[in-house]
Amino acid sequence: MKKIFLSGLTAGIILFIISYGGLYTAIHYFPSFFVDYNNPLFNSNGDRDILFYSHAFIFSFALSWFWERFKGLFKGHFILRGLEFGFVYGIIALVPVMWITFSSLDITFTMVSSWFFYGLCQAIIAGIVFARTNP
Amino acid sequence: MSPKKNSIILFAVVFMVVFVSATDKAPALIKWIILKDCTVRVNGSTNINKFSCSIPEYQRSDTLTCYRPGNEVPVVLSGRLALPVISFDCNNSMMTNDLRKTLKAKEFPSLNIYFISLEKYPELNHAQEPITGLVNIELAGISKKIEVNYRFSMDEQKIIHLVGTQTIRFSDFLLVPPRKLGGMIRADDRLDVIFRINFKRIADS
Repeated sequence: MKKIFLSGLTAGIILFIISYGGLYTAIHYFPSFFVDYNNPLFNSNGDRDILFYSHAFIFSFALSWFWERFKGLFKGHFILRGLEFGFVYGIIALVPVMWITFSSLDITFTMVSSWFFYGLCQAIIAGIVFARTNP
Repeated sequence: MSPKKNSIILFAVVFMVVFVSATDKAPALIKWIILKDCTVRVNGSTNINKFSCSIPEYQRSDTLTCYRPGNEVPVVLSGRLALPVISFDCNNSMMTNDLRKTLKAKEFPSLNIYFISLEKYPELNHAQEPITGLVNIELAGISKKIEVNYRFSMDEQKIIHLVGTQTIRFSDFLLVPPRKLGGMIRADDRLDVIFRINFKRIADS
């Protein structure tokens, strides 16, 4: 349990920095890519900011538990284990979720693709962290 | 000077004063009917883009009344523009919906501009004349008195063209500028409002 928590916390801190830092940088350098977010579909009054910024930790703790249960299935070098873990998450979680999201919400394919890529990168990074901190 | 001569001079002076003031004075009450080809535009920006939203055509034939009992300034106005917030169009359905949501279009369907006064009565000729005036803008249930910069002109068809510009703030009307993704995308508090109104003078009294 302690290992799950510690590796989840470590991954959460790393993901927080990389994810929001990356998002901030992307908005700064590619602003046109984010114009579609000016949409009432997205919360706009700031009352859920804490939920938005805690996502990295929710994601990391959930994946840390998943890693603990199934880490024996991922073999090889820690980077390879992290990559495989990320792709497994991408296939079993991200693809179905993005599929239903795109089919039901008024969002662009580019937007949903970027979410898929963002989630996949997060899962790979989390997997690499878990493979190092909780082999 | 004889008393008779004095009386004649006095009479002449009084006559001239009365005549001049009677011919110089504008009608006490002037009515301007608002024509239907009026537009209101708001220009704003976010940290990723600029947006421009407009109500392309004003559909009501409202009347503005200009009270001008003498040469007093400011000139008192009454009348209003009632603009349907739902008619705002940003040429982008998502942005349009977002602006309508921000302006609480469902709860407060009208943006009302109440005309209060003009700094002076316009000359009304072909040249654009800058005049300031006061309006009360009612948006999202909040009313705020604002000084507006107008430009008045009149064309050959005797149609009066008024262009009003002013910068307002979302926060003036207790509105929160839209912010997305935890505030990483955020709209500027300032909105530049430009309204173009065309009038025709309909009656004096």
